[in-house]
Amino acid sequence: MIDTRPHNTLELLKKGDNATLQKIYEDNRVSFINFSKRYDISEIDAVDIYQDAIIALYENGINGKINSLNSSVSTYLFAIGKYKIFQLLRKNKTINLDHNITIESTNEVLNVNFFNEKLTNKQKLIAKGITELGKRCKEVLELFYYKGFTLDEITNVLNYSSKEVLKSQKSRCLKQLKKIINY
Amino acid sequence: MEKNVELIEKYFNDTLKDDEQILFNKLLKNDTAFKEEFLFQKDLKKALSHNQRNSLKTTLQYFENNIKNEKVFPLRKWLAAASIILVLGFSYFLYSDSFKSSPENLYAEYFEPYRNIVHPVVRSKNEKTIESRAFLAYENGKFYKAINLLNSVSNNNDEYIRFYKAMCNLGINKYPEAISLLLPIASNPSNNNSDINFSEKANWYLGLAYLGTSDLNNAISQLSIVANNPVNSYKKEEAQEILDKLN
Repeated sequence: MIDTRPHNTLELLKKGDNATLQKIYEDNRVSFINFSKRYDISEIDAVDIYQDAIIALYENGINGKINSLNSSVSTYLFAIGKYKIFQLLRKNKTINLDHNITIESTNEVLNVNFFNEKLTNKQKLIAKGITELGKRCKEVLELFYYKGFTLDEITNVLNYSSKEVLKSQKSRCLKQLKKIINY
Repeated sequence: MEKNVELIEKYFNDTLKDDEQILFNKLLKNDTAFKEEFLFQKDLKKALSHNQRNSLKTTLQYFENNIKNEKVFPLRKWLAAASIILVLGFSYFLYSDSFKSSPENLYAEYFEPYRNIVHPVVRSKNEKTIESRAFLAYENGKFYKAINLLNSVSNNNDEYIRFYKAMCNLGINKYPEAISLLLPIASNPSNNNSDINFSEKANWYLGLAYLGTSDLNNAISQLSIVANNPVNSYKKEEAQEILDKLN
């Protein structure tokens, strides 16, 4: 059985262990869906929100934001999920002010990045450009910008001979990307 | 210049010290090239996150579908249904001359996942490595889950892991995937670093996989190998039976 204390689980997630992700997904799904039934949202929305909460958990886990969290994974998921449910309900204007106050304080405590903003045209162009990069570049950029790894960590994980080699690789990747999108 | 690159790096790692932060803000205000580079990387971060979230969402959707499928048709019920169909099918076979053995029917008739001989599941023992969970899922017929787990074990290129991954794919009728996993095992009889010889088994299952894709030529040549194997009797009779039915 996977140890569901945040620390160990997050270590596994950080390593990109899909089985852990699936386990977390399966273990908390039913109780989350049941929990969402207290609010006026459809099951389809509930699943969608649940998935976003898992993504938020994943992201905050890998970039180290919740290393010090003293609650279990499920508590964390429910807190994020609850926030997202309120956000949806607020969009549908079916919620009163009291709840809004709770939401803001919840968000502050959790310090979660939410991601409902749309990409600008330039960002869309970059997003498309990334897919044309080589595998090595994708890996480096992903680890640095998305997973928030330091250059030292990436040197280790991807077996570069030195940080300097990685640095020049990264800068070549940026140049290449700019070239692809005519930046 | 090098210093500026480093400042931006530290920004993204969230490790700017106070004095560096001040310098950073100053550059952002006064140095257009610096600002442009920083904004580009910021957009890049956003774009990367967007791509990553989309692919993560796809993965989660896949987990979700797995759960839904299991819910709709749990394996035990499926097995019960399958055995009834087999009995009915068999009696139909007895009473009807017009019964034709289509390759898919033969596949369904003869296929059963190879038993778990690598990792006997000891239910009382609390051993929960990824591999043992994979084989537990395999024994319970949760093939999607087993594939995921088998992909996650560190030795996922070992022959026995690839063999059981092929079994899982056969269990969910993904024949092409099974075939590409089985081919190298079947053609590698000398690889005896494990005490189990999977190549004989791979030959048999490869034949079945070809039946599944209705690729009769390959099915027949593969099953002939099994039926005419001079040294090994594994599934010899069954292979001959199928060959007779196909003719």
